[in-house]
Amino acid sequence: MMEDQEEKGNAENGIGRQKQVKDEYLLQFLDSLDGYLTLLDSLSSTLSQGWLELASARHAMGASRINGALLDLKVHAAATSLKVSEQDVDSMESQPCFTLCKWASSDNGERSSGEEKSLSPQLRHRNNSQLSGIISSPQRQKSLSVFGVLVSPKLRSAQLSFERALETLVEIANLHTTMLSMFEQVHKELENTNG
Amino acid sequence: MTFNIHGGYLEAIVRGYRAGLLTAADYNNLCQCETLDDIKMHLSATEYGPYLQNEPSPLHTTTIVEKCTLKLVDEYKHMLCQATEPLSTFLEYITYGHMIDNVVLIVTGTLHERDVQELLEKCHPLGMFDSIATLAVAQNMRELYRLVLVDTPLAPYFSECITSEDLDDMNIEIMRNTLYKAYLEDFYKFCQKLGGATAEIMSDLLAFEADRRAVNITINSIGTELTRDDRRKLYSNFGLLYPYGHEELAVCEDIDQVRGVMEKYPPYQSIFSKLSYGESQMLDKAFYEEEVKRLCLAFEQQFHYGVFFAYMRLREQEIRNLMWISECVAQNQKSRVHDSVVFIF
Repeated sequence: MMEDQEEKGNAENGIGRQKQVKDEYLLQFLDSLDGYLTLLDSLSSTLSQGWLELASARHAMGASRINGALLDLKVHAAATSLKVSEQDVDSMESQPCFTLCKWASSDNGERSSGEEKSLSPQLRHRNNSQLSGIISSPQRQKSLSVFGVLVSPKLRSAQLSFERALETLVEIANLHTTMLSMFEQVHKELENTNG
Repeated sequence: MTFNIHGGYLEAIVRGYRAGLLTAADYNNLCQCETLDDIKMHLSATEYGPYLQNEPSPLHTTTIVEKCTLKLVDEYKHMLCQATEPLSTFLEYITYGHMIDNVVLIVTGTLHERDVQELLEKCHPLGMFDSIATLAVAQNMRELYRLVLVDTPLAPYFSECITSEDLDDMNIEIMRNTLYKAYLEDFYKFCQKLGGATAEIMSDLLAFEADRRAVNITINSIGTELTRDDRRKLYSNFGLLYPYGHEELAVCEDIDQVRGVMEKYPPYQSIFSKLSYGESQMLDKAFYEEEVKRLCLAFEQQFHYGVFFAYMRLREQEIRNLMWISECVAQNQKSRVHDSVVFIF
């Protein structure tokens, strides 16, 4: 009888732990879904801001200085690239992980120091020197030089907004992968329960 | 006393044109439009109507700006073909700024391996000249001058920037600003030679333009490779800020230092008082508002050429307003429409 009670207790603990694990996966899935939707909203507002700032820069500098006909068609290395690597979630699975490499040039086969997405952005607020903080990276300046060297601060703000949008896109991609992985886990647990 | 013999008819024409500028009521209607087709419908009741009526939907903001600019070009050409000396030279001077912009556009676009025809379509119509397409052949400024610009009105402005250095982004920027500086100084001297009310009114307007350029060059060059000496060389040699204000602006490292310099000059105190500390976003609008005030005052006197310059600049401001309103409507950002619209009346 004692043994029966012990077995019953162990079985109940096992069921409880299973339920806990299922709840955990479900919570993680819901958290990642919430984060995904929040980031989508943030992306939309960042892009809207960027487009308006670009229009504002065109208003200030003139349409002849800011237009698509000035973009550089010469072959050149991308200033920003995306690295895709495999990340082990657990010993059984791996999922893709996206990392943004900002303002890194691969000209002449050498990689100059770029910024990983995880580093804080170039924008440094120091007293009132917002302008010089924004344009500290030479690669950032170079990418705007298609419109001239002396460009309006509004164009630099637009550049920052589009940079932020790119970072958000990478976060969305990573979160999307996590969300799908969590969904698979929840689905598996449900099947195990029903099976 | 003899102004009306040669200039009376055209002064009457330009005052008539001025009466066609959009009013605050027009702008209020335009700011409430939901789509670009609504804007087209409201503009059809104005002098822009004939220029937009045949444009098919869906409209684009650049189309609205192009067609409104065509109206300005037509009016300018009408005045130019009726004008005699020295008014005809005065009217031509008004377009040299656009000519400089077009030269830089073609040269920059060619450096970026763009098609010349595509670049020509983006040029401002007031700044076109016959050999403009040949600019694409030049490799450096010496060739630019020798092959093309020697036969244009910009030739005298090139003496300060002829080098054999290859054209790159920095050299092109310095060329743009050096040419514009030389043009403004030449225009100023020409107006001084005309004398009378023209000299008095145009001196004020051109001095304001020179000062505004100095401020914009300073702010846009903060944190860039442009040295203090190079920055100082780009400022014009006239204006309220010349020479002491320029010395101080040349060493400014942030917007608040610029503010500190400009607030010493009473006409610019009111402009900078509208901005909060560390902010430069509303500076352009503040300068445009001040410019519009001065341009409108030019019409208070008669028998001078300043009215022609003032009218052209007011129309350009109007086109900028229409461009901004169209962008805000197209991007569904109507709450921001009053950020950059400058009312003329």
